[in-house]
Amino acid sequence: MLEFKDMIDRYGKVVDHVVIENDKLYEKFQYKTYEKAITTAEVRNVINDFGLNKISIDGIFTNLDFNANSKFVVVNAMFTNEPFISTDYEFLIKHSAEMADGIELLSIAANAEKTIILVDKFMPEEALLELGKEIVEKDFEVITIDSKKVDARDYKIIKKLVNETLSINLIDNGVVYTDICAAKMVHDAVRLGIPVVTRKVAITGDALNINAVYETRVGTRFTELVEDLGGYTDITNMNLHIGSFLTGVQLDNDDFAITQSVDSINVAEFRGVDEDVCIKCGDCNDICPAGILPQNIMDAELRSVNSRIVDLNTEECVECGLCTYVCPSKINVLEWVRRAKRRVG
Amino acid sequence: MNFITKKAPIVNNSQRSFKRSFTLHFSLIVTSIVTVVLKALSNLDNPGELAVRAFFMILIGALVSVIVEVVYAYSEKDITKFKDYKGYVNPINTGILIALLLPSVTPIYVLILAVFVGVYAGKLVFGGYGFYIFNPVLVGVLFAQLSFGAQLAVFDTPLQLLKEALNGATVNFNVLDLFVGNYEAVAIGSTSVILLSIIFIYLLVSKVIDFRISGTFLISVLIISFGIGFINYYVSGDFSGVFDYVLVNMITGLTFFGAVFLISETVSSPTSRETKIVYAVVIAVLMMTVRVLGDNTEGLIFAILFGNMITPFINRTVQRSNKKTLIKTLVISFVFVLFTSIALGMILQGKVEEVYALVGGVL
Repeated sequence: MLEFKDMIDRYGKVVDHVVIENDKLYEKFQYKTYEKAITTAEVRNVINDFGLNKISIDGIFTNLDFNANSKFVVVNAMFTNEPFISTDYEFLIKHSAEMADGIELLSIAANAEKTIILVDKFMPEEALLELGKEIVEKDFEVITIDSKKVDARDYKIIKKLVNETLSINLIDNGVVYTDICAAKMVHDAVRLGIPVVTRKVAITGDALNINAVYETRVGTRFTELVEDLGGYTDITNMNLHIGSFLTGVQLDNDDFAITQSVDSINVAEFRGVDEDVCIKCGDCNDICPAGILPQNIMDAELRSVNSRIVDLNTEECVECGLCTYVCPSKINVLEWVRRAKRRVG
Repeated sequence: MNFITKKAPIVNNSQRSFKRSFTLHFSLIVTSIVTVVLKALSNLDNPGELAVRAFFMILIGALVSVIVEVVYAYSEKDITKFKDYKGYVNPINTGILIALLLPSVTPIYVLILAVFVGVYAGKLVFGGYGFYIFNPVLVGVLFAQLSFGAQLAVFDTPLQLLKEALNGATVNFNVLDLFVGNYEAVAIGSTSVILLSIIFIYLLVSKVIDFRISGTFLISVLIISFGIGFINYYVSGDFSGVFDYVLVNMITGLTFFGAVFLISETVSSPTSRETKIVYAVVIAVLMMTVRVLGDNTEGLIFAILFGNMITPFINRTVQRSNKKTLIKTLVISFVFVLFTSIALGMILQGKVEEVYALVGGVL
């Protein structure tokens, strides 16, 4: 161990970091493994002990927290992310058996009534075939999503499934929603006894000389990865974006460590499109999956009317970012809604 | 090297508001050209002169609007907006629309005043495009109609003939003439409904206008005019006039033009789906009320301005959008439209007192 240091984490918050030195010895310690038959409690214990519960946190993904309330498991098997990040399906094709087993383990842990896998309409046939082969005998439902249409289809599917108003955290509605990489990690932890020591990260963007999908150790500094990729191209204004494009965060500094929740990083030239004035078309009001009215909230926030912000159920915003996505004037509507939330929150 | 944390690099969504303005711009230019050509081919008195007048009115309207905006921008010492054609699109749209909403007999000074008032008092004093509460086009046209009523008077428009027909005169409408716009029009833009329908669909597909406003408006007008016509001819026992009544109300006058270009104007209309329906229904009801009961044969301009006026209020009444409220809004709107159509029909027939007497002699 070298020192304690204050650094920013992947959200841009300053937190205590422990800087350690790699002694390159790589001794392997074998944890307990489990065979096919496994109880709910055992899976839950492994997930908690190995720190697996906070793997996918972007968007409306939930933590892998299970309680008596858990009823449904939804696993997202889509590997698309707009506009520059596009991950190939090699990972899924290679590890489909592990993933299918991981999904089954999740469904055991949640005592699930129903397990749903979301797949992309434009998925390569090979990937679909491999995944299908593994899950054909299991009691999963597969739903196809058209990823070209960005309209919170997963949120709507879950809403239909639960048949009640969704809260900000889907766990309160008895839904565990995660992605397929998390399922593989659960498999590794339970069957092979491997905790989260590595993370698959897609590093993309035109500000980097090479784009690649890395399997990196958790705790690696991003700057080291950039060095390995041959550094940045000469672009002055960059945009460093971590996570999904609609819901991720941007940092003003590239000196952060990869944690288990980082799945994709994009460093691209800043393409600031001019914001036009709001033409009050109401597209954001139509698309909002939570059914609130972002345009009206923005209006109230601009006029600083607190009572109106409360009236408009601003606290129900799930921060999915679709309002910003559909805005024809390219206004950052989500930021205004966040401000409104903070004002009354 | 420097990291900017302004906004996620979303580029996939190609919808842009200036593209919508351009689409509207294109549609308006096409409408203007076809209107002028149709005027030249019509069998009114002096079709050639009317066409030339219409052409110059549209040109002057656009020009004056641009001049007013540029002069205002100079006085504000900020003309960066007018560096490329993008900045001229909205002023030109406003100018063309004002010209299209005035009859072809309009004196040029009235047009210039109308454009000046519309652009300056209706738009620029509020802060320009995106901030006004009243549709600037209608502010200008209303000013012209109120101040220069005599100069703008047009006689024997289909709607006026229809009013006479309800009072017992015999009027025969040529359906083909109505469809191609071959009649005395209350405004240049009140033209062939076939052209307007094509543009209506084009603008709907390109998301410039919203079916929940324009569609609701057209359906409401259809129901109300059918109700009025039905009650009127039910009394006389001869149903042949109902079709004429509905047709004239739907495709002449400014009904279709308003549905395409005026009602769905995004800045001055509400933003959520329930309020959009309420807004359209209010305008339809008000327009038909003015047409049936008022002196003015064309009530659309008053109706839309009234709709703009209540927009902030109806925006304030919604809290969230859910299915229950939508269904409730649809049902209430439908009942309201039906009630209006029956009530207007009854009033027109002087049956109100009989109805009151039937209910229990309230009056």
